[in-house]
Amino acid sequence: MRQFLLARLAQAGIVALVVGALCFALMRVLPGDAAMRIAAGRYGPDARIAEAADKVRLELGLDRAWPVQFLDWLASLVQFDLGHSLVTGAPVVDELKVQLGASVWLAAAAIMLSLLIGPTIGVFCGLKPNGWTDRLGLAGSVILRSLPPFVLGLILMLVFAIWLGWLPPAGFGTWRDLALPALTLALGLAAVSSRVTRDAIATVVKAPYFVFARHKGLPEAAVVWRHGLRNAAIPVVSYLGLQAIYLVEGVVVVESIFAYPGIGHALVHAIVERDIPMVQGTALAMGLIFVAVTAAVEAASAWLDPRLRRTQ
Amino acid sequence: MNAPANIRELRISELSIHSGATPIVRNISLSLRPGQPLTLLGESGSGKSLVAQAVMGTLPPELVASGTIRLDGADLIASSPEERRKRWGRAISLLPQEPWLALDPTMQVGPQVAEVHRFVGGQAAPRSNARARANLDDVGLGHAGALYPFQMSGGMCQRAAIAIAHAAGSGLLIADEPTKGLDADLRDSVVTRLKQEVEAGRLLLTITHDIAVARALGGMVGIMLEGQLVDIGPAELVLGAPSHPYSRALLDADPESWDQRAQAPSGDAVLAGRFLAKAFGSHVLFRDFDVEVRAGEIVAVTGPSGCGKTTVGNILLGLVKPDTGSVERRKNVSPLRFQKLYQDPPAAFPPHQTIRRGLRDLAKLHRLQWAMWRNCSRAFVSTRTCSTACRARFREASCSASRSCARCFSIRSSCLPTRLHPASTRSARRR
Amino acid sequence: MSTEIASPSLLRPSPVSVTRVIGAALLLALAAFAVLGPWLVQADPAKQDFSASLAPIGGEYLLGADHYGRSLLARLAHGARLSFGMAFLTMLTAAIPGVLLGLAAAWRGGWLEWTLELLANIVLALPGLMLVLLLLAFAPGNFGPLYFGLALTLWVEFYRITRTTTATILKQPHIEAAKLLGFGSGYILRSYVLPSIAPLIATLAAFAMATAIIAISTLSAISVGLQPPTPELGSMIVELLPYYAEAPVHVLLPPILIFLLVLGLQLIAQKDSR
Repeated sequence: MRQFLLARLAQAGIVALVVGALCFALMRVLPGDAAMRIAAGRYGPDARIAEAADKVRLELGLDRAWPVQFLDWLASLVQFDLGHSLVTGAPVVDELKVQLGASVWLAAAAIMLSLLIGPTIGVFCGLKPNGWTDRLGLAGSVILRSLPPFVLGLILMLVFAIWLGWLPPAGFGTWRDLALPALTLALGLAAVSSRVTRDAIATVVKAPYFVFARHKGLPEAAVVWRHGLRNAAIPVVSYLGLQAIYLVEGVVVVESIFAYPGIGHALVHAIVERDIPMVQGTALAMGLIFVAVTAAVEAASAWLDPRLRRTQ
Repeated sequence: MNAPANIRELRISELSIHSGATPIVRNISLSLRPGQPLTLLGESGSGKSLVAQAVMGTLPPELVASGTIRLDGADLIASSPEERRKRWGRAISLLPQEPWLALDPTMQVGPQVAEVHRFVGGQAAPRSNARARANLDDVGLGHAGALYPFQMSGGMCQRAAIAIAHAAGSGLLIADEPTKGLDADLRDSVVTRLKQEVEAGRLLLTITHDIAVARALGGMVGIMLEGQLVDIGPAELVLGAPSHPYSRALLDADPESWDQRAQAPSGDAVLAGRFLAKAFGSHVLFRDFDVEVRAGEIVAVTGPSGCGKTTVGNILLGLVKPDTGSVERRKNVSPLRFQKLYQDPPAAFPPHQTIRRGLRDLAKLHRLQWAMWRNCSRAFVSTRTCSTACRARFREASCSASRSCARCFSIRSSCLPTRLHPASTRSARRR
Repeated sequence: MSTEIASPSLLRPSPVSVTRVIGAALLLALAAFAVLGPWLVQADPAKQDFSASLAPIGGEYLLGADHYGRSLLARLAHGARLSFGMAFLTMLTAAIPGVLLGLAAAWRGGWLEWTLELLANIVLALPGLMLVLLLLAFAPGNFGPLYFGLALTLWVEFYRITRTTTATILKQPHIEAAKLLGFGSGYILRSYVLPSIAPLIATLAAFAMATAIIAISTLSAISVGLQPPTPELGSMIVELLPYYAEAPVHVLLPPILIFLLVLGLQLIAQKDSR
């Protein structure tokens, strides 16, 4: 258990290091004077900008050697001192708080929805492998996986928002705004999780322990409930760990397409506007969400599978 | 222990099993009574497991059974699937092959026994748990209720499976290869346990290829060959003075009945290990181990699994480095003359290469004449189309290749038949 | 408990299936369109002709024209070449070092394996697209960071699969037997290891190309990848989207092309159903 925590902490550390180093490099390679940019971000571009830039340079120590500056940069990163946006001038942390909430809602809704769709279809496919439900499920899964998430999002937007007019095409505030982006993500996740569930069910049904449970004389409901579901859930849950990648990447894309004011949307905007403190803040937040989802999935796997709990 | 349901007789008459129009099992007739266990003996593919499946009612749907199987009057073949299923656990219990795979890996053993009382016996939860504890106590696993299968040894899993059979209180116990994958010591304890079942009044049908198990269980023994029961009778008679030629061949192939060869070591050592020691982590396998192999000598290293006998072999071959000690080989002998025959012969062949190709490459490597080899390998094109037994022969062929090609002819003659007969097993092992 | 035998399904070549044949045929057709199309069509994908704005399909322009009156057929052909070519290049850039390093790590072990594992873990700490996005921040809209970022995230999968599969194969008895019989490392690698890992690498290559195609079009669609007027399929969709009411089929053409490309790759990488 401790090993598992250490591994995730190390991952979080690597995330901070990679994001920090890239953004530090970004700050230095951009043309123009960094102090000037920061000053403009903080105080607005007025006549006394040069004076303000000198102040910023002194304050942030931008005249020191770059390794010193880099360590300094990392130190403030670790303390969650993420600086100010170069565009709006607001502290990055404040902006993140709002966006983080929106993104977490979206991600949670997507996971819930995908767990409703994927495993349900997977169970039906897995109980009769190679039957027509299974073939249909496979075809659906291959088709969904062949559609980039943004295309899927656009199709859903065209169908539900524009042709049918049931849901708003973009925005934020009510569940109706959440529905389309969450559904886009959920369908992409379910395309894979339905197949994983199908394979898991098909394997468990053939497993010696499942057959033996029947031979013990247990009624079918008890066999499935006590020996089928938990065992089939193990690969499905551990696969969710891999799906965290899809989820985080999807959040970036889907938020941008639906103009949903979350972290992914902010990240893409910051990149286009070269607002480096915002790039760093949002990338860090998304990276840490990724680590957190992976850790949660691992904990759930260990809870389900006693073999993972043993000390190694 | 739940008293076993009282069953007076299992009688199988004229049982045949067909796959389409092809008969796989033909005209089996036998009967079982309390106190008189029956063991079906035969090599794999002889159809002995199908007989057990027909009794249990678990034949694959493409196989059709005919004839009658009567369990105290009820005809098992004529039963509907629902009726068959009702008998599982209550009347008939199956001891699974490889019980460590048959126990649910994610559930403690206690609940796996208790659920039988709960769902088959209809008891309340606390009472089920108490009874499960008693069942586990009976087989010496009173302390193990909270363990998961992966925390238990093969023998413990086997006993847990027996405890589950007790829990349901069935009168007929079918043991399908109960000693598969077990060491000799564990095998004996499982046999002892099965004999106790017979004494408790259960009917016992055992399926095995292990002659020692059949001998130890006593009672009746039936010998199966290609779907037919070629010999049946009391164990002492069938195993002591076999009448059928196949029974005789089968018994002759048993290592126990090999005749002892006088050893004639001819002096100097070919290979020796001195003061060998090996540990994996903190687990010490052996220390100060001395072994010497002289010309013309057979040296056997035996012991329970995990004692390090394979490691000794690998150290002598130079595949594993000992922690301390040294290996001495006779001088001026090519390292190619120290070879290994593998436990699982098919695994010693690359799955992507035909045997022919492998032999040809070998001949080329050592500049041997391919023409002589080709005769050897003509009959076999691909590893995968070749039976386990013939691949074992080919492994031998390639071993001797590095010495000389002279053996090729003698090997060819024995490797052409695609099925390995017990008689040739014998000569192979004794070479 | 019993002797361990590596799962044979990993090591056995799978038979040719119908889905694979369909996938291969689809890919072949698309590759022909991508390679020969720009050459056969001749039209300039950037030439504007406002009189032909949103020209219908089947008229003077075979597949119609976009809002600037640019030939859609020419733009699709160039877009297909761009996506296919870039995905192929990225896959090669990821696969060659990935496989070689994986073989080296499994064969040598020790510090080399340790270093490579650390490197792989660093790359995997962030989702791939995030890393590409961060690199794109250096030069949004440029080909270089997009290509480099994708290759950087994709090599890890090749490395990991090669390393673990090779390590499993090297532990098998037939490798030990071959060494005892006097065969050298070169022969073992050529005749035993490569035939076993080749089908896996082919599958990975198809998935890597699919990932690259999706990533390139996605990033261009959210305007951090390649920028208009480059005929990139993702940015073409976004450009045409405002005209979905007047010319819905025009809008659908680029996504259909992406879909077919990825579908073809998915189908040839399809594992056999059990």
